Amino acid sequence: MVGRELSGWLLRRGLQAAAAFAIALTILFFLMRAAPGDPLSRISEGRPLSPAEVATLRARYGLDQPVTQQFVSFVGGLLRGDLGVSIEYGRPVTALLAERLPATVLLGGSVLLLNFTVGLWLGVRQAVRRGRREDRWLTTASLIGYAMPSFWLGLVLAWLVGIQLRLLPAAGMQDPLLSLEASFVERSIDVLRHLVLPALTLSVVSIAATMRYQRTAMLEVLQLPFITTARAKGLPDTVVTWRHAWRNALFPVITLFGLWLPILVTGSVFVESVFAWPGLGSLAAAAVWGRDYPLLMGASLLVAALVVAAGFLTDVAYAMLDPRVRLA
Amino acid sequence: MTRWTPRTPLAALVALFSLVTGVTGQSKHENSIVILTGQQPTAPIPTLMEGQAASAGNLELADQLFLRLAGLGPTLLTAGDRGFVPLLARSWTRRDSLTLVFDLDPRARWQDGVPVTARDVVFTFERARNPAIAPRLVALLRHITSVTAEGERRVVFRYSRAYPEQLYDATFHAAPLPAHLLDSMPPEGVARSSFVSQPVGSGPYRLVRNVPGQFVELGANERFFLGKPSITRVILRIASDPDARLNLLLSGQADAMDNVVPPLDNMRRIQADPTLRLVPVPSNTVGFLLFNQKDPGNPSQPHPILSDIRVRRAITLGLDRQLLVRAVFGPYAEVPYGPVSPILWIRHGAPTAERQNLGEARRLLAQAGWSDSDGDGVLDRNGVSLRLGLVLPTTSAIRRQMALLVQEQLRQLGIDIDVQRLEFPVWIERRSGGKFDVDLAATVQDPSPSGLSQGWTCSGGSNAAKYCNPRVDSLIERAVLGLGKPDPRQAWTDVLRQIEADAPAVFLYAPSYVYAVKRRFRNVTISPASPWQLLREWSVAN
Amino acid sequence: MIPLLAVLRSAWRKPRGRAGAVLLLVVILAALVGPWFLPDPLAQPDILQGSLPPGPGHPFGTDQLNRDVLARVVAGARVSLSVAFLAVMLSATLGAAVGLLAGYWGGTVDSALMRLVDGALAIPRLFILLLVLAAWERVPLAALIFLIGATGWFATSRLVRAEVLRLREEGYVHAAEALGARRVHVILRHLLPNAAGPLLVAATLAIGDVILLEAGLSFLGLGVQPPAPSWGGMVLDSKEVLVSAPWVSIFPGLAIVITVLSANLFGEALRDAVDPRSA
Repeated sequence: MVGRELSGWLLRRGLQAAAAFAIALTILFFLMRAAPGDPLSRISEGRPLSPAEVATLRARYGLDQPVTQQFVSFVGGLLRGDLGVSIEYGRPVTALLAERLPATVLLGGSVLLLNFTVGLWLGVRQAVRRGRREDRWLTTASLIGYAMPSFWLGLVLAWLVGIQLRLLPAAGMQDPLLSLEASFVERSIDVLRHLVLPALTLSVVSIAATMRYQRTAMLEVLQLPFITTARAKGLPDTVVTWRHAWRNALFPVITLFGLWLPILVTGSVFVESVFAWPGLGSLAAAAVWGRDYPLLMGASLLVAALVVAAGFLTDVAYAMLDPRVRLA
Repeated sequence: MTRWTPRTPLAALVALFSLVTGVTGQSKHENSIVILTGQQPTAPIPTLMEGQAASAGNLELADQLFLRLAGLGPTLLTAGDRGFVPLLARSWTRRDSLTLVFDLDPRARWQDGVPVTARDVVFTFERARNPAIAPRLVALLRHITSVTAEGERRVVFRYSRAYPEQLYDATFHAAPLPAHLLDSMPPEGVARSSFVSQPVGSGPYRLVRNVPGQFVELGANERFFLGKPSITRVILRIASDPDARLNLLLSGQADAMDNVVPPLDNMRRIQADPTLRLVPVPSNTVGFLLFNQKDPGNPSQPHPILSDIRVRRAITLGLDRQLLVRAVFGPYAEVPYGPVSPILWIRHGAPTAERQNLGEARRLLAQAGWSDSDGDGVLDRNGVSLRLGLVLPTTSAIRRQMALLVQEQLRQLGIDIDVQRLEFPVWIERRSGGKFDVDLAATVQDPSPSGLSQGWTCSGGSNAAKYCNPRVDSLIERAVLGLGKPDPRQAWTDVLRQIEADAPAVFLYAPSYVYAVKRRFRNVTISPASPWQLLREWSVAN
Repeated sequence: MIPLLAVLRSAWRKPRGRAGAVLLLVVILAALVGPWFLPDPLAQPDILQGSLPPGPGHPFGTDQLNRDVLARVVAGARVSLSVAFLAVMLSATLGAAVGLLAGYWGGTVDSALMRLVDGALAIPRLFILLLVLAAWERVPLAALIFLIGATGWFATSRLVRAEVLRLREEGYVHAAEALGARRVHVILRHLLPNAAGPLLVAATLAIGDVILLEAGLSFLGLGVQPPAPSWGGMVLDSKEVLVSAPWVSIFPGLAIVITVLSANLFGEALRDAVDPRSA
């Protein structure tokens, strides 16, 4: 790997990512400004405002300036980490987002973990048993999983597992009765119990996609000559499958990470609201219901930044593993 | 060499899942209760609950933390002095028709151990009557001219005029604050001080922790002078979605739920659960179809259809309100006479609501010139169809259901109702901007009927429909001051008669709130004015 | 070039493709003729009865307003399918136009358009729609279709552009231009038909996505507005009786699953026909 070549590529790819974020930011800003309706009417709670109050408010929110000027000051605020104040909560948007981020990371992280274990394993099995009954069954199952609306699946699971069977909590993230003195282990188990249903709901959709990709990637590798060689050497099937084939079929799946993220974020808007999970998704849904534009804008920007960053990181990881990519 | 395959974490995962689902036997917490509620408290401090902070979430929590001078008893009679029970004040007497004297209970203590004194009451009313701090309270307390201390334990209230609700005004709106902790702070500084997050009150419970978006934990006040509460740990669990609250209750994650909303199927579902019971309590809510008197497109003009009283009366008579109420609430609501929620004492002795009379409704519409000339099932006049928009907030399950039922009943009369379910902020905007034909409104009332002036007088602050009848204004004024009729109820009945005759609205439902509580709790009393107020008297059965 | 008819025929020959096509046709047929045989989806025959469990007379039960759930699911199929088909047609057209433009002209036009697409793809589609729809009091159906369609072309345009670039590299375009063909002619007669296969696959697979998206928006209260029945809106309304009348939630959800599944089955079979490697 030539150092200069790599750093040049990194720089180009980094600039591309930055440009994508800048364009996303511009699109979001102008979409919001183009929205019909007066942002002030929401702030005033529908109370009729006097002309003087209107002028003060317009000045305070910078609405008296031309749109381009507003854009410049918005970007300036963003660079200082200031995304404005939420209308609904009356607190800085950045503080609200930071408060809700951990819950979403926990949920999203568990879903990724499930994807990397169950999803990959199932995809590999399918490829190894290509065309057999198990493969067909798993394909059908993954297609059904992919066709599930996550909000509906969440409701049905909450009803079935939470209310009818009472196996797991139907909503929330922790049991408030667990006393402050409870041990770390007790509290972790409590959160874990609350985590199962939302993570399962969100996983069903994304695992279906993971399985399909892993299966395709694995099939391609299994046709390569070195696998035939390995088999001819009399190595056990599991060794060939996992140590030879799977290692090579893993990278295409890594690129999926960039693809998963939008799916996960979109799904979490629904799943978090259904399960009252105190994360970014339920915050975004609440912002929609409360017509809280600054908050909605902040959440969308954060998501866009995450998507761009994930795309960049997967490309980098991929380039590190496979130098040919940089030539493309 | 260890053989690592994705099977290993998978096995671990399956093991973990079975472990986690296996731990179902939640440890029973003896003297605790988890109450589901919809609103996040932000500043549960008397005198700070203004504007957006005047929310049920704050008011209900403040009632646990801060004790009033006197409480509204079970009769809910706000006029006169008989309806009240002693709290911080042990007794009260009248010197004359303009002077009320309270004697504080010497046992009363703040949660930090300092006795509650007359100085605290005087301090609190200074803040409550400061327009810069508490504009809402200033309006409510406008008849109080002074609050002074006579020694440590005696407080004297003076009024500008004699009226029936003097005691109510002195006790209901502002519970005393601890002067010794707050009088060193500038009045506007309290809202930003640590007192908001760590309040010290005189009530039966103290705030333990507040986890935003999830729950508020309260602990029993060991020093409470009226007796330490038997339930020592209270969790107010916040779930803004009523469906989510119901799910939490039925999955066993909570012990009590405020206001189980229709559809009735849900009440039946709770009744089917042997560990739960339903407790109906008269609500402070009244729901009605409000007719805009002005043209939504041009507020200086009368409404092209609804300014005609015959149309408004026809809609009133065209609805089978008894059926609507039974379908939505079952036995838990009645049809009100006038804008009167079940909590208002003036409903006793008022006439009963009119029944459906389709013949009369059709006659009135025909008289007003409406007929179905083109045979499309919708009445018309001069080429204009009798089509009305009905706005409602999509957050209210009751009103969503009610709107569809009303739409269907009026369709049979030839009136086309366009149901417009709006997000709450948008609905507020439309309503206060006068941009609607008919509003499916529900108002929350104070226990005092004097609040009717807000919605039904010409200059009323929440009179969104611009309904104006000077006769109603003067009738309300006379009733508030106790003039004319010897029985205040009769004066109020005259007000209601006049409002019903003008038909500015169809009064649809006066519901009971139905609370769900686990059967293991004993001595359950739910107060209509503030549901969990008497929690300190509840106990847990063995 | 692969003729479209051959692609369709080859997809039909696969059991999965046939299953998807038949299921989808059944749903479409039910949406078209079902309402003639079923009760009025808005009628409330006996409001005091409320939600009745599935049984004779009401195979899917009734909802909390005593409305027939089967009739509402079928009426919802009309709404959901027409939103999906129209929106996908719009986004396929836009995607094809932008992809052809960028791929054929190249240079600044290409890089400007592709940077725009990069930026747009960074925002999950749901968030773009939330931001725009939240501003509306009540979204007209036409506007909803337009917005869903207008936010769905980004990936398609990349796909079409890649196809055009491949054809250029193969010298296809040069040959045509050397023969004196006009640009419009080259685009319409040579590039578009070649890109039609992948475009059809993308569009078919997009139908399922759009049905899910519309259902999600309606579930958030931002999509199809009541009283028009839509599957997502029905799940939203049924949430309040989930514990007492689960059938009101379950049937519209199943309708979504079956429809999306059938569109995806058929779409995958089409893809296998266009690009046999992925089988």
